[in-house]
Amino acid sequence: MYRYDEFDHAFVASRVSQFRDQVERRLTGEISEDAFKPLRLMNGVYLQLHAYMLRVAVPYGTLDSRQMRKLAHIARTYDRGYGHFTTRQNIQYNWPKLSDIPAILEELAEVEMHAIQTSGNCIRNVTADHFAGAAADEVADPRPYAEILRQWSSVHPEFSFLPRKFKIAVTASDRDRAAIQVHDIGLQLKKNEQGELGFAVWIGGGQGRTPILAKKVKDFLPEADLLSYTTAIMRVYNLHGRRDNKYKARIKILVHETGVEQLSAEIESEWAHLREGALKLPDADIAAINAYFEPAKLDARAEGWGELAAWKKSDPGFADWVGRNVAPHQHPDYGMVTISLKPIGGIPGDATADQMDAVARLAEEFGHDEIRVTHEQNLVLPHVALADLEPLYRALLAEGLATANAGLITDIIACPGLDYCALANARSIPVAQEISNRFGDPVRQAEIGDLKIKISGCINACGHHHVGHIGILGVEKKGAELYQISLGGSGDENASIGQITGRGFGPDEITDAIETIVDTYLVQRSGTEETFIECYRRVGADPFKAALYSSEAEAA
Amino acid sequence: MTVIWTQSGIAENDPWSHPEADGGSKLLPLEEALEHAQDNAPFGVVLQPADDVRALAPILERVSIIALTFPAFSDGRAFSQGMLLRERLGYEGEMRAIGTVLLDQVPLMLRTGFDSFEVEHAPTIKRLVEKRLPGIDLHYQPAADQTDAGPGYSWRRTAILNG
Repeated sequence: MYRYDEFDHAFVASRVSQFRDQVERRLTGEISEDAFKPLRLMNGVYLQLHAYMLRVAVPYGTLDSRQMRKLAHIARTYDRGYGHFTTRQNIQYNWPKLSDIPAILEELAEVEMHAIQTSGNCIRNVTADHFAGAAADEVADPRPYAEILRQWSSVHPEFSFLPRKFKIAVTASDRDRAAIQVHDIGLQLKKNEQGELGFAVWIGGGQGRTPILAKKVKDFLPEADLLSYTTAIMRVYNLHGRRDNKYKARIKILVHETGVEQLSAEIESEWAHLREGALKLPDADIAAINAYFEPAKLDARAEGWGELAAWKKSDPGFADWVGRNVAPHQHPDYGMVTISLKPIGGIPGDATADQMDAVARLAEEFGHDEIRVTHEQNLVLPHVALADLEPLYRALLAEGLATANAGLITDIIACPGLDYCALANARSIPVAQEISNRFGDPVRQAEIGDLKIKISGCINACGHHHVGHIGILGVEKKGAELYQISLGGSGDENASIGQITGRGFGPDEITDAIETIVDTYLVQRSGTEETFIECYRRVGADPFKAALYSSEAEAA
Repeated sequence: MTVIWTQSGIAENDPWSHPEADGGSKLLPLEEALEHAQDNAPFGVVLQPADDVRALAPILERVSIIALTFPAFSDGRAFSQGMLLRERLGYEGEMRAIGTVLLDQVPLMLRTGFDSFEVEHAPTIKRLVEKRLPGIDLHYQPAADQTDAGPGYSWRRTAILNG
């Protein structure tokens, strides 16, 4: 993984002292709260319902054990012993004191971490496929390009006061695990016919109040042009994005209102001036960044094949876990292990300090010291020998981290909702917990198969409800919480926006409604191999609506 | 009190500020500037964030000063206008930030090509006069300011902000 050089260390240290100075000026009143707000947001500090919140960047979701231990230490020392992993592969702390935050940032800097641009109307932490560098299906590791973008976008003088936040995601496989079509810029690393690396570029995707899928503006952007072309997009957006209404300020609205042909022509004309300039990436620089992401040295461990079969036979729980949570690695003797942060009835994405320490220890022992955070709010050990899966499983089991539900109905994405968030209209966490408890039986989950439920506590859609196979949106109606259901959303390479079923459900009705939908699917599906989303796309919304609202129709 | 600050300090008797007071030179909006360019006298231009700075290209040599407007500290369009004027159009005259000019934005303005600042906010003026700008000397991207190549990668730059 990338390691800071002296320049990076000095930069982050300067950024910390800059923020310390800003906090001091705020406390003495030299900066108004209004003017301070964007400054603190650009360093990940929110003012929430009960306290400040600090969101720490995990660039493209990659961590090592030393960094994970530091996150545990911060949770223990400055917070209440836990942290929350987010849909942007970051971690947030819910209870830090504002006066402690500069000290926390200094601790983070010791392990090459920061909170730069985890919020604010600027280019946010760049995300990537959580299986990058390990997945059998990738063209190349996308993270070096995410790292180049991370550096280039840090404290960018031209793009720090954009119309609205700006999110970039990078993937390198036809199977999109980074949800690039719902990002402001989505990049897919690919090879052209000459075998050269470049990007397919999408712009204008986003969720929030107006969910829109991104439009492709380039089929192949040579890798050397990554920063010049991105700058052209950003400049056109900065100059022309709407600033009269924050709900219409994302680039997706500019794309929609201007038209993708005209906008991409403007971007091309801007790019023509920039392309051969200072932003052109020299091959040597691309190679130097790539060198940090050289694949881990993985020895042949063929003995794992036989052992794995024997262990699976003797322990059905282990077999289930391997079946759900271990995915094929580039190296046939290895697997990519998802550590579920979705225990049955638990809070999606939360991990205690002890659990973080355990993951750090296990990453060192079995995982070549690499950890990933997924946008689905789980953790991943990307390089585990099949021969080590059994001891790893035992150790995870002891920490409450061996839930075998990756991709199943209880692997729910949920935002913090009204339990923490100042923007929320409704609670998300209790809804997730109740659904998880209702469907917690492993046999029942396995029967249902792949199903992504995503829950947001307000229209800002941090819980990605628009791209949930089943999406749940909490709203407030006449002072009460109400949950709208949408069906058929998807954030992968076949991205789609879910459609609202009809009237919403109260907190005491929503789990029953989800059960009705699931039961309808089980009746409608052509066979056990037809997943929920495939079935929904075949039969449409009607059977589900009929099941949800039939009693009303009869009553009327 | 509003002052004009540059990196040499507070500018006294700035000819372009408070134009009504002495009836002398004044800053012209874009449309008027394009018309005025028929005359020969040097003049200054004040642009709004929605103005297309590229319209100035044919008359740029005659312009003495361009003021770019920050209607609110959150409105960053003038950063891009500044970059276009300096990098695309090669404008070398004075470029002034007006409107809401606050301390923490000044280092970004300097990087995007601004070299004079109309400032009203007293705590900001104090820090500027003390040459204690809250910026960072290390940059991850080229911009319109005078910098040295940074170590390691082509996109890095360094410059001493409070030199």
